[in-house]
Amino acid sequence: MRTLRLFLYGVPAALILLLVAAFVNATYLSVAKKNEMSIGTLGEPSTLNPIQQADSASSQVGGLMFNGLLKYNQNLEVVGDLATKWELSQETTFQFATEEDADKALHSVNVHRSICPGTNTATLPKEAFWPITEIDRSGAKLLIHLGQPGLDDSQGIHELLLKEGLRPLPFPALEPGGKERPFLAEPIIRFTLRDGVRWHDGAPFTSADVSFTYRAIMDERVASPRRSDFELVSQLETPAPLQVIVRYKKPFSPALLSWMQAILPEHLLGQSEPSKWAELYNRKPVGTGPFKFGSWKTNEFIRLVKNPDYFLGSPWLDSVVFRVLPDPLTLQLAFQTKQVDFWNVDPWAVKSLEKDPRFDLFSSPGNMYNYIGWNLRRPLFQDLQVRRALAQAVNVPQMIKYIIYGRGVQSTGIFTPQMWFFDPSVKALPYDPAAARVLLDAAGWKVGPDGIRVKDGKRFTFTLLANNGNEVRRDIATLVQDDLKQVGIEVKVEIYEWAVLLKRFVNKGEFDAIVLGWGLGYDFDQYGIWHSSQTHPEELNFIGYSNPQVDHLLTDLRQEYGRPEIISIAARIQQAIYADQPYLFLFVPEGTSVMWKGSYRIRRPGPKPGEWIDSPVTMTKAGWSYDMEWFYRPEYAPKAQRQKAK
Amino acid sequence: MTSFLIRRLSLSVVLLFIISLISFFIVTLTPGSPYPWGELNPKISAEVKANFRKKFHLDRPLHEQYAFIMRDLFTGNLRSIKDDRPVMAKILERLPATLALNFTAILISLAFGTLLGVYAARHAGCWQDMAGSFLAFLFIALPGFWISYLLAIVLVKEFGVPILGTQSYGIEFPNAAAAELDRIWHLLIPATILALGGLAAQSRYLRATMIETLREDYIRTARAKGLAEEVILYKHALRNSIRPLVTGIGMLLPALISGSVIIESIFAYPGMGRLGYEAVLERDYPTIVALNFVVAALVLLGNLISDLLYAAVDPRVRLE
Repeated sequence: MRTLRLFLYGVPAALILLLVAAFVNATYLSVAKKNEMSIGTLGEPSTLNPIQQADSASSQVGGLMFNGLLKYNQNLEVVGDLATKWELSQETTFQFATEEDADKALHSVNVHRSICPGTNTATLPKEAFWPITEIDRSGAKLLIHLGQPGLDDSQGIHELLLKEGLRPLPFPALEPGGKERPFLAEPIIRFTLRDGVRWHDGAPFTSADVSFTYRAIMDERVASPRRSDFELVSQLETPAPLQVIVRYKKPFSPALLSWMQAILPEHLLGQSEPSKWAELYNRKPVGTGPFKFGSWKTNEFIRLVKNPDYFLGSPWLDSVVFRVLPDPLTLQLAFQTKQVDFWNVDPWAVKSLEKDPRFDLFSSPGNMYNYIGWNLRRPLFQDLQVRRALAQAVNVPQMIKYIIYGRGVQSTGIFTPQMWFFDPSVKALPYDPAAARVLLDAAGWKVGPDGIRVKDGKRFTFTLLANNGNEVRRDIATLVQDDLKQVGIEVKVEIYEWAVLLKRFVNKGEFDAIVLGWGLGYDFDQYGIWHSSQTHPEELNFIGYSNPQVDHLLTDLRQEYGRPEIISIAARIQQAIYADQPYLFLFVPEGTSVMWKGSYRIRRPGPKPGEWIDSPVTMTKAGWSYDMEWFYRPEYAPKAQRQKAK
Repeated sequence: MTSFLIRRLSLSVVLLFIISLISFFIVTLTPGSPYPWGELNPKISAEVKANFRKKFHLDRPLHEQYAFIMRDLFTGNLRSIKDDRPVMAKILERLPATLALNFTAILISLAFGTLLGVYAARHAGCWQDMAGSFLAFLFIALPGFWISYLLAIVLVKEFGVPILGTQSYGIEFPNAAAAELDRIWHLLIPATILALGGLAAQSRYLRATMIETLREDYIRTARAKGLAEEVILYKHALRNSIRPLVTGIGMLLPALISGSVIIESIFAYPGMGRLGYEAVLERDYPTIVALNFVVAALVLLGNLISDLLYAAVDPRVRLE
């Protein structure tokens, strides 16, 4: 009986004692932080293999361990990373029936590009500006090397040849069922790789790794989500350990950005089956970046440790730990107990935190915009006047004020203000219900007896869809319903689970209107979303938008390599689409991150070798967390100083 | 006994099969698809999607997909769609954390449930009993996530103690004991919340049987013999009242595993409940089916053990 009683009272007593001891221990634990950065993520990376991932959690972790050939600098300009130099050129090939024809063609091109010195350049024909670097005849083929890829110059040469009465023989189409091509235009990128870079295991980084990464992405067994970026590569050569030459089937400018793709180590993966990578590599990767893989405890944390041999110098932090905290509220609690160093704040909390002297806040317009997509297949939305009326009837500034507490800007089209090709001259349509009413009247929609507009016996009523679990979109739908009622339009709001919304409505293109958002990074190529060829089921132009002028511009943009040209074409696309109002462009919410005041500073490599720039954490075009690998904790600054001196 | 075991085990196999079938069809017939990179991603071409579907047999009819999953499950080749890792490895790496959490929770609910039950039965009808009943019903009624958030906010805002995950991060522990206590702290908090419901239920069961037992003739005889109240209570009454507790253990396990889905997410605890929850959100069919299979097997095993225990503590029960 004694034992039973002992047990009955002893076990609870012991448990309580343990709890109290543990609690006291937790409160007394030293607050002295290790030289470690702690980042909370809501989702856990699926894999750390950079060619098999496409989720943001994975790329955030991978960004510290891997390098691509190219990267964005803090002003979002393309600069070298593992590549020190890259040259763009193009080889254009014309083929003829006979060698004589090819010779004639060679001669006439040469005549047209020779200019006498001292001529007034303003009067020169376009041909004078062809950036021809080399021209050659090989058999019945005419090979022209151009210093700049793109179709314009090659088309100019083609026109010239036709004028001279020379008819080049066509090349077969690229895609089955496509058009024959009058000439081959094959852009070439020549990369010179950084010398002396080593993988985390000490092996040297060479062009073989680049070539392997490309082959792995194209390997069907890998099922890489990056594959579409590289499908136009026709050939990848590695003539020397530090040289890579990539040849493309046709001009496609987004391809250059695809070389920001992190590179995989050939010496570790080249000999093994892709099906083995999950065990061999994906959870303990080896990269070239500033941090090495340390450990991964599933659903808890991923720890990276510093790579003292990083090619730009050793980072100041000893380690970075990514903690998986799936609940937004507990993520906030973790931040408050300094268990994570940064926290992405919801808009409602920003105001009170801004006043709090304990915190540093970083806000910037996000890379996504919310919109209402009108299904242009529906007769209701086919009239531009009606779409403009809808846009003017919805009070977007009020939405920004009440839904995101003023933390955002009105959207003026398909690009967001952070993008380098954004056109700030596009002005948002003002909220003006009176003007909306006039437009609707003009379009034939007259107010009926029940206050709802009628045209040809049909009432102006439609269903607006949104997805469950997204409060912002639900609130948008509610406000739109109210705003449109004021101008005599009836809106029924229906909320579905995300997967149902996609399967039943979006993928089939069977809906009236839908509240959605796009977050597209810094990619200027939005062919998939706006080109009229992309309107089939499961394609992304699900609203059925079609404008031949925009189609043309989208195609041009993908063939244009020069930064000023891209900016100018992108601006025309943004203007044209905004004028068409296929979406009701709503707002670009601001993202705000918070850290404890002064808990980090940045010491990053300067433009000159051996030079270091020390600064507080500040906002850049590429976000506050750009150069995160160079963050340091001021209490460990002496260490950083010593390293600098060395 | 042997025939009972054989019958129960064969029945369990049939049950497991049916459970796997149901769970597979429920998850695959739910809208959504398991692309790890989201469906509205302009970077993913139709070809990549098709290739991906082919790799995981998602282009086959449902019954074939089921056959593939079962074949791979039993040959140990079943791979998660999310990260291409063997599903069994994913489940096994969660098992220690899950078992630690659930056994601590069972221990807490048994220890305090018994104490509360005995206390309430002893003072049946008095204010102590009322207070105990009130507490028990409060624990049963309050949603676990609500208490969790409340507790988390109080602990963090008032005391500034870390509570997430299995240990504190980014700090140097002064010694091994502090680190160990820190781990215990991170285990006790979610385990206590997880235990509240079971604790309350256990105390109610025990109180009811205990009151019934105390009215038995042999208790009256014992009292008449002049035995001390303590002896009557613990030696005679309690021993004869713990049968419901034994059955209760078998039923606690499924309740704990389903309850831990939410608690694990809130406290960022790396257990099986979260694995299942995330697999459902990601439509990771192989993981869901395998996890359901393992959990169902555990529950069936728990029931079997509780039946065996029942026979062991109650000589009147025979396993035929």
